[in-house]
Amino acid sequence: MATYDLTPRIGPNLDRHLVFPLLEFLQERQLYPDEQILKAKIELLNKTNMVDYAMDIHKSLYRTDDVPQDMVERRVEVVARLKALEDAAAPLVTFLQNPNAVQELRADKQYNLQMLNDRYQIGPDQIEALYQYAKFQFECGNYSGAADYLYQYRALCTNSERSLSALWGKLAAEILMQNWDIALEELNRLKEIIDSKSFSSPLNQVQSRIWLMHWSLFIFFNHDNGRTQIIDLFNQDKYLNAIQTSAPHLLRYLATAFIVNKRRRPQFKEFIKVIQQDQCSYKDPITEFLACVYVNYEFDGAQKKMKECEEVILNDPFLGKRVEEGNFNTVPLKDEFLENARLFIFETYCRIHQRIDMGVLFEKLNLNYEEGERWIVNLIRNSKLDAKIDSKTGTVIMEPNRPNVYEQLIDHTKALQGRTYKLVGQLLEHAQAQPAR
Amino acid sequence: MASKFWTQGGSDTEEEETDIEDEIENGGAGETTAAAAGSRYLQTNASDSDDSDGQKRVVRSAKDKRFEEMASTVDQMKNAMKINDWVSLQESFDKINKQLEKVMRVTESDRVPNLYIKCLVMLEDFLAEALANKEAKKKMSSSNHKALNAMKQKLKKNNKQYEELINKYRENPESEEEKFEDEDEDEDEDESGSELEDPSQIAAESSDEDDEGEDVDDDDADGAWEKKLSKKEKLMDREFKKDPSEITWDTVNKKFKEVVAARGRKGTGKFEQVEQLTFLTKVAKTPAQKLEILFSVISAQFDVNPGLSGHMPINVWKKCVQNMLVILDILVQYPNIVVDDMVEPDENETQKGADYDGTIRVWGNLVAFLERIDNEFFKSLQCIDPHTREYVERLRDEPLFLVLAQNVQEYLERIGDLKSAAKVALRRVELVYYKPQEVYDAMRQLAVLSEDGEKDGDETKVEETRGTSAFVVTPELVSRKLTFPENSRALMDILVTLIYKSGDERTKARAMLCDIYHHALFDEFSIARDLLLMSHLQDTIQHMDVSTQILFNRAMAQVGLCAFRVGLIAEGHGCLSELYSGGRVKELLAQGVSQSRYHEKTPEQERLERRRQMPYHMHINLELLEAVHLICAMLLEVPNMAANSLDAKRKVISKTFRRLLEVSERQPFTGPPENVRDHVMAATRALCKGDFQKAFDVINSLDVWKLLRNRESVLEMLKAKIKEEALRTYLFTYCSSYDTLGLDQLTKMFDLSDAQIHSIVSKMLVNEELHASWDQPTRCIIFHDVEYSRLQALAFQLTEKLSILAESNERAVEARFGGGGLDLPLRRRDNQEYAAGTSGGGGGRWPDLSYNQGRQGSSGRAAYTGGGRPLALGQASRDRSSQSRGTGGYSGRAGSGMRGYQMDASARMVSLSRGVRG
Repeated sequence: MATYDLTPRIGPNLDRHLVFPLLEFLQERQLYPDEQILKAKIELLNKTNMVDYAMDIHKSLYRTDDVPQDMVERRVEVVARLKALEDAAAPLVTFLQNPNAVQELRADKQYNLQMLNDRYQIGPDQIEALYQYAKFQFECGNYSGAADYLYQYRALCTNSERSLSALWGKLAAEILMQNWDIALEELNRLKEIIDSKSFSSPLNQVQSRIWLMHWSLFIFFNHDNGRTQIIDLFNQDKYLNAIQTSAPHLLRYLATAFIVNKRRRPQFKEFIKVIQQDQCSYKDPITEFLACVYVNYEFDGAQKKMKECEEVILNDPFLGKRVEEGNFNTVPLKDEFLENARLFIFETYCRIHQRIDMGVLFEKLNLNYEEGERWIVNLIRNSKLDAKIDSKTGTVIMEPNRPNVYEQLIDHTKALQGRTYKLVGQLLEHAQAQPAR
Repeated sequence: MASKFWTQGGSDTEEEETDIEDEIENGGAGETTAAAAGSRYLQTNASDSDDSDGQKRVVRSAKDKRFEEMASTVDQMKNAMKINDWVSLQESFDKINKQLEKVMRVTESDRVPNLYIKCLVMLEDFLAEALANKEAKKKMSSSNHKALNAMKQKLKKNNKQYEELINKYRENPESEEEKFEDEDEDEDEDESGSELEDPSQIAAESSDEDDEGEDVDDDDADGAWEKKLSKKEKLMDREFKKDPSEITWDTVNKKFKEVVAARGRKGTGKFEQVEQLTFLTKVAKTPAQKLEILFSVISAQFDVNPGLSGHMPINVWKKCVQNMLVILDILVQYPNIVVDDMVEPDENETQKGADYDGTIRVWGNLVAFLERIDNEFFKSLQCIDPHTREYVERLRDEPLFLVLAQNVQEYLERIGDLKSAAKVALRRVELVYYKPQEVYDAMRQLAVLSEDGEKDGDETKVEETRGTSAFVVTPELVSRKLTFPENSRALMDILVTLIYKSGDERTKARAMLCDIYHHALFDEFSIARDLLLMSHLQDTIQHMDVSTQILFNRAMAQVGLCAFRVGLIAEGHGCLSELYSGGRVKELLAQGVSQSRYHEKTPEQERLERRRQMPYHMHINLELLEAVHLICAMLLEVPNMAANSLDAKRKVISKTFRRLLEVSERQPFTGPPENVRDHVMAATRALCKGDFQKAFDVINSLDVWKLLRNRESVLEMLKAKIKEEALRTYLFTYCSSYDTLGLDQLTKMFDLSDAQIHSIVSKMLVNEELHASWDQPTRCIIFHDVEYSRLQALAFQLTEKLSILAESNERAVEARFGGGGLDLPLRRRDNQEYAAGTSGGGGGRWPDLSYNQGRQGSSGRAAYTGGGRPLALGQASRDRSSQSRGTGGYSGRAGSGMRGYQMDASARMVSLSRGVRG
């Protein structure tokens, strides 16, 4: 089932630290041998400062208590560097930890800088040190500290490039701390900057968007409102272009969001076209499901795909998020997805049929008869479906959905009146303007 | 003009010549003592000479013609003499001199024809006579008198050149020819001997016509080569070789300047110059000097080419390539030598020897030379008849050029001149891009094989240099071997990446088009399409030069073919329809000149067009292209016609196809299909009835399919498509006659699986093309008849008319006041919605342009492509691996409606007419 695993494609677009949760998930799902994942983790940690953690993993991987020499050395080095940075940033940190002093800060950045410089002898060097310190903290896995420092750094920093990377850092830290609300705020801030900023080359901009979208996956699939927002973000022209250009695998998440969303969206039709086009560059059961239902009208195929989708969702770190309810371990998104997918099939199926055998239908929808009948009755009762059940023959009969002739006539003529008024209005306007001249 | 007198004399060709000579002799100034005997000689002589250049049969007729012309001029002169008309005599004399030049070129001999000498003698005598006759002179009109004097001067001057011959002729007018023939070789010897006495004369270039002739001979006839070369060398050696130690940089430089100064001067023998310069390269004292002289050699070799339309002689071309390689050798050996064409180098720059440390600047432009060589290669392929062996032989020279280009590119990359390297890379790309893998493999093998051949070439080169061991020996540092990647795609990727990084706009655009073409050739439709769309080439191509436009058209055609091969009928049609809309396919693809009935082309335009033609081996098969286009049109148009059978004019997909169909329907009898068009029309007739088998059989019988690599699968695909469209057509046509239609029946009729039919019909239902629905338990389609009562129908008509009325009112107001502000006319909006509806279903319909534009307008995508920048590829390093990592990749796919993207909008064929007129 590792065929549809997207981790290798998503990984390069994430921060090192953000890859961790993905690896954890994979370990849990047992898609790959444990050993491989642990190795990957060490690999990942080698470039960070979380040496202790790396050592632990090393121990569990090789089942020894020995730690390679370079790790030990690195640990010493890291600690030393931490000390150095701490010292460098100390004046500013102490200042910031003093609530009275902080109150002296105002909204005016220039003033603040001036004030710090005059009264506390804190110059650009110290501010820069704060950034480095925050970065180091982040590398060490102290995300909350890093987030705080970065927030304060941003308030003081004048360099827009630096400010941007501080923002990225803040976002990563918030994501890792699972503060979804704050992370979402940061995300929107970052998005605004990316969209408004003039990048040196379009390539960079596209790259930033790609990153942003990848990082946002953490937020959107954890935030309550995320599923609507993911569509709002991904389905924007610029972002969709970026997806198609460089990261077609993101289509999976967009497709899932579209399917799961209750409200049928006007952009859905457009999106189907995108799916159709990009079939050559990216394909997985979820997009194929949409293609089956909306492009080829192959319902048997769709049904098969639906089963595969279930697997995919369970194995996807973002989609397959577990929620523990008492003793049960459920994946809420999966159930929702299946329900909606079923509805999709049924809806389209009904559109082109006049009479449907319920037995066959339920088989297509992976439902048993009783359950299915209840489902359909509910649909009819909620007037989502204009049909009747003929229980004697076991069929659903669609009400013919033909436009009324008279309605059509009214439609045709309705606009005429308005147009005529407008015309006359224009004529009069012109006639008045004439004598005035 | 043939007199009957000598008809029994011999074969026809000889006879003519004899006649002429004979006549001249008769009318001549009195040497015709033994006309019969003389002509006997002539006859044998003529046949002799014929034999001697028997191997050059190709030029025979041209030669005869020249002789004929000359003879007729002589006749004219004779007439003029009779009436003592010096004015016309003078004209004729000028004419005959010109003709002489032509004759010399045609016969490629070094000997002045006897006819000419005879004529000179005759003139001389007549002139003397006229001058002697003082009284007659006085009587002459002033213009005539003037002409006489002018003639006197000219003849004197002219005859000096041929003094020897004339004297000989005078001494022995009859046996002259025979002796001449015998002494041919000696004659040459003598001639050059006489020149040897005055070596500076030859250097300063005597205006000797026969010198040039001799050189032509040198180059063409290999047999004579050695000997004459040595003769030449002797001549040059006399100057230089007396004592090698005496030769200094100064002497060589002086000589070099002298020779170069003669370039382009009237009467400078072009081959001669090449020879001299080549010799100078051997005595050059410093590498820089050798380099400088080599550049001049190549320039001189380019000069050999007579005009714009003709091409450089092939052996000269080859030598030119060799010289370029030697230049590269020198440049590689002495990295401190810099070639530059921007600054005028110091006079004595080249004096600096091999051990000089600093940079030495030498004037020259490698890229320009390389491009010129490539152009000559291209031109030669244009000129040579593609059905001859010669053409194939010429094609074999391609690896030679590729080697050179590769080396030049490597050199340029090494010195960091990436911009020029990109230009060279483009040349390489343009030689490779149209080759399918098989052809590419063949070329690779040829390159391997020709290594042996090249060794031979080296040997001869050694021989050449044997006489004088060059002062500056250049070892062959640059590899003469071609290193190819296995896969042409790999080669293309390397080259194209370089170009995208550092080429200029035009180079990039061309490389892009080649890239697209190559992808399409390898059935990579989606990549080709993406490249085409994101490069925005279709927007800017109108402003590019004609040859790039042709390349664009070729790429479009290839993309169309590719789309067809992979089964994307609608896309294929979109690419090709524009190409066929004007009926000027040949012109658009530069594969032959199409005659237009409506406007005549001026000769100038025709010449331009001819110069643009693609060589034969690069052609896209037009029959295949037409077949693909018409089949695509058929598959789209037939169901469309069936769907809108009542108002056929409403929605036309392919106008070309409709027109052809009308023409074929008008025919009273339809015979068995002959050409592509007939085949498709026959298939169309079958398809209209829903008879897929017959339609497919007819299409299958076309023999253009053998040109396809994956023929089987394409035909398979085609069959499936035909079945599908036949089903659709059938349903459209007969839906009104049925109430229900069983799935099983359809399955049997169209030989399709249940699922396929279900899918196809469902698609039609969803798109509301067919008013019906499935009845699942009985597995049949139930058609809904939407019938209106009379009142309702009338009401509809009324509303229709009302809206037309409103519309025309609006239009009237608009016309009066000008301002917009009104809504779009209702009708148009309806259409739009309709289009949107059909395309929305994803049934592969073709959305209207208007729809497309609407979408484009709504999205502010300009922001990130950087406006309408033509090629956003500058930043795109097309590195696949990086793309998969998601970092590099195509920079801005940005592009025009990647989402709603329809080839339709993009498939704008470039019309060349603007270029033709401009």
